[in-house]
Amino acid sequence: MTTDHKLTTVSPPGATTSRGDAVVRLAGVQKEYGDTKALDGLELEIRAGEAVAVMGPSGCGKSTMLNLVAGLDRATAGTVEVHGQDLGALDETALALFRRRHIGMIFQFFNLIDDLPALDNVALAAQLTGVSARQARRRALELLDELGVADRKDAYPAVLSGGQRQRIAVARALMNRPALLLADEPTGALDSRSGEQVMDLLIDLNQIGQTLLIVTHDPQLAHRCASRLVEVADGRVARETMLETPK
Amino acid sequence: MSAVWRASRGAVRRRKLQTTVIGLVVFGCTVTVVLALSVLAVTTAPFDDAFGKQRGAHVVASFDAATTTPAQLADTAHRPGVRAAAGPFAETTLEMPGDWLGYAPGSITVVGRADPGGPVDQVTLRAGRWATAPGEIVIESNDFPGRDLNVKITPKGLPPLTVVGYAASMSQSARGWVAPEEMAALHPTAYQMLYRFSSAGTDQQLHASLATATAGLPDGALTSAQTYLTLKQQFSAGADSFLPLLTAFGVLGLVIAVLLVGNVVSSAVVAGFRHIGVLKAIGFTPRQVVAVYLGMLLVPALVGAVLGSLVGAVLAVPFMKVAFGGISTGTADVSHPALWAPLSCVVGMPVLVALAALVPALRAGRLSATRAITAGSAPRAGRGLRVQRALSGSRLPRAVSLGLGQPFARPARTALTMAAIVLGVTAVTLATGLSSTIIAAGTSGSPPVGTGVEVDLGQAADHNQQEPKLSPAEIEARLRALPGTELLTRRYLTLVGMTGYSQSVYADFYGGDDWQREARVTVGRPPTGPDEVVAGPAFLAQHGLHLGDRITLELAGRRLPVAIVGEPLEGNAGVVTSNWQTALDLAPQHRVNSYEVRIASGTDSAAYVKAVRAIDPGLYPSVQEPSGATAPTVSVIGFTTVFSILLGSVAALGVFNTVLLNVRERRRELGMLKSIGMTPRQVTAMTVTSVAGLGLASAVIGVPFGILVHRVIVEHIPIMVFSESMKDVWHAPELIGLALAGVGIAVLGALVPARGAARLPIAEALRTE
Ligand SMILES: Nc1ncnc2c1ncn2[C@@H]1O[C@H](COP(=O)(O)OP(=O)(O)OP(=O)(O)O)[C@@H](O)[C@H]1O
Ligand SMILES: [Mg+2]
Repeated sequence: MTTDHKLTTVSPPGATTSRGDAVVRLAGVQKEYGDTKALDGLELEIRAGEAVAVMGPSGCGKSTMLNLVAGLDRATAGTVEVHGQDLGALDETALALFRRRHIGMIFQFFNLIDDLPALDNVALAAQLTGVSARQARRRALELLDELGVADRKDAYPAVLSGGQRQRIAVARALMNRPALLLADEPTGALDSRSGEQVMDLLIDLNQIGQTLLIVTHDPQLAHRCASRLVEVADGRVARETMLETPK
Repeated sequence: MSAVWRASRGAVRRRKLQTTVIGLVVFGCTVTVVLALSVLAVTTAPFDDAFGKQRGAHVVASFDAATTTPAQLADTAHRPGVRAAAGPFAETTLEMPGDWLGYAPGSITVVGRADPGGPVDQVTLRAGRWATAPGEIVIESNDFPGRDLNVKITPKGLPPLTVVGYAASMSQSARGWVAPEEMAALHPTAYQMLYRFSSAGTDQQLHASLATATAGLPDGALTSAQTYLTLKQQFSAGADSFLPLLTAFGVLGLVIAVLLVGNVVSSAVVAGFRHIGVLKAIGFTPRQVVAVYLGMLLVPALVGAVLGSLVGAVLAVPFMKVAFGGISTGTADVSHPALWAPLSCVVGMPVLVALAALVPALRAGRLSATRAITAGSAPRAGRGLRVQRALSGSRLPRAVSLGLGQPFARPARTALTMAAIVLGVTAVTLATGLSSTIIAAGTSGSPPVGTGVEVDLGQAADHNQQEPKLSPAEIEARLRALPGTELLTRRYLTLVGMTGYSQSVYADFYGGDDWQREARVTVGRPPTGPDEVVAGPAFLAQHGLHLGDRITLELAGRRLPVAIVGEPLEGNAGVVTSNWQTALDLAPQHRVNSYEVRIASGTDSAAYVKAVRAIDPGLYPSVQEPSGATAPTVSVIGFTTVFSILLGSVAALGVFNTVLLNVRERRRELGMLKSIGMTPRQVTAMTVTSVAGLGLASAVIGVPFGILVHRVIVEHIPIMVFSESMKDVWHAPELIGLALAGVGIAVLGALVPARGAARLPIAEALRTE
């Protein structure tokens, strides 16, 4: 089941990445927190247009891996290359600019700003890059419309349902047309109906070419949304399975 | 209780930074309050203390020896209303020539007393011993203890007297005391009686009491009566002039301290709501929760209060010296500040903290566990949201508009923080204004350029000096002929009597070039005409006179009525200033004490001084530092600076605390903003603007408020009258600077937490749930 909307506004970046090029390349990645080895020689490649689901037991390093790909944290050893850029070579400001341009993120607990209505939460992502308030709000409204929550544009996060909040978070993640959309347990805080709606949204996005990397505990989500399943254990990739192309 | 104690200790340990900030704020506030209280204590009590200790005389009365007998006067001690009396003591007036012990020539009152003690006016010996043998004298010296002993002074027409001691009398009953046996040789003309009355609160009561005591004495027997109220006013004129100022700073300090402690403490409790929820969820009773929070706050508060009281008590000593440096305090002691100030802070500050914590802690105790855990995520007040919305749509960079919106999310915390900045700005404004006024006043008398050389004429009475051989006219002509001499002013200073008043005053006469500058008149006009004088506000107040009144000066039997035509800036309470013509009218046999010479710029002052010495060995030239800074100037600038630095930094500390809490509460939000591409610089900009706006708004309120307080103070300093140009010290650059001070205080406090926010590890911030 897909949404009725045509995702026209959400055109993924075609200019620099064409379908099939590697968008993410992790080689020999290690991450240590004190004595804890969160990642221990992880290898992974993701190509443009793919939808990859990551699964594994709690504490195996899934979120850590996602954070490294997003440039939110730095590897202790190994290379993290995203969109052709070695993230280890970037300073904090360059990393921020990199995230802004190439990464969209959605979280289990949405992380919306309570004081801003839905529309301004979404517009924020573009405004940070210097886009004017009017332009940002216009694009935000288009996105909300395509994600089916335009009627909630003036509502504050506290009065929205979990599913609505997550869709607004997705809209925010898509504002700057990211090369890569990252999701950490995107349905983890949602009831099953809202969860399914968000899943459908992710499938639609992938079908129009959006590259996805989804961390999840939910096998159903993995099988419905992803073209490839990566299983992580003890900080490395234990198994990779190609899945049927999502419907 | 051990669970509560363990939870408090754990909470303190986990909130090291916040605990440190609370401790620091309490510390800074305690220091400020201790200093403020010490100063306030001294400005009110010292005269009464010292006067009480000496059992000072309510009235010092002189009676004509020709019309009354000692027996008649001794009887007055037993009249109704007289609680204690001393005397009669024989009294005389001595004419002191030349420069005696550094004082100007003139007449002084000397009394014969067997000992310094007694029921009234217990004179304090400050150096040497009491006069017991003929030829010995003790000199009154309130301000300078420990001058040369065993030097000889020679009153006109009498054999020399040996100075065997120096003593202070808060009643100012005489300028000198001799043994009663010696008195006969000094030809007494009057008797002195010292009274303490049961009814002595007001001037009226004093006069009524004195009338009752002296009833039945022959007409004209009572020649003068000096009340302690006059002395008290005279004494406190110095301290009083600074009282409005010290009070202003003291009150500012107290209010800021209370505000900040309240803010820091209550926001610590609000920030702990989640923690409170967890405590309740694991079974703490509401009462135990309140106890945990009080415990957690009282530890740093106690440490801060104790350390602050100690540091305040130590600082108070030099601080008081600075604050009272230019003020005559007599035997009153300002070098040992009251101990009750630090002691009451040790107790009072923790009580204040407990009170400030109790209200939010009680609220927290009543919150249900789930409400407490979710507190803060509910949508907030409508006004704040509307502002956020408007800011989102504005043209400002988004980081800046997000920052500007932050204060509206926590209106109460914002209001308290802002109040602290407002008062900080007020303090800085007030300090700047006062310094400008005092500096303007201090430099008003001195010409802008050139070096001054003071040329003293040697005094025969001084063993280290010799009198000039040339006549004053010859000296003046030679000085004028010296290369480099631009302006020359001559000066004659003498003690004179004033008809109707018992205390003699100094008459200060100037002549020559530019002499009006020396009068430094700010109200009325300079004493240009013959028999015109100017006198300062303290002089007028103390003698019950007004601008335009006439007084009669007396010197060596001559009387000269003069008119008071102006008020100099800062007249000494015992000085009238006039011109040379008046000097000629009052004292035809006058002499010159000194010349003040302004030399042309570029003249070698050392060579000039040498040339002056060469004119006559009886000339003693010295180069004057070209500075308008008098002792009161230094003390005003000194303590206003200390106070404004203290208040400014305490306010900055309050901002620091607010920003720290905001950053902590917004950790997840910050993590998210950074994850969607906010750069470290944008994070810093957002955090700093979140309070810079407050700083600017505070300046808009604080600067006018400071200007207002400045105006009120400069108009109410009793011993100084400032001209309008001295009061109006505000110019655009200063005002802009002051507005920036508000922003500066805010930014200073925000900088460290802002950098912390910029460096916040994103993954970790997003992980904390
Ligand atoms: N900031 C950190 N400091 C210390 N240890 C950390 C930190 N972040 C992660 N870890 C540790 O690294 C390991 C991997 O954590 P990570 O969050 O990546 O696991 P996960 O696979 O996402 O688990 P879950 O499915 O429960 O979300 C864990 O042992 C965790 O305790
Ligand atoms: Mg995880």
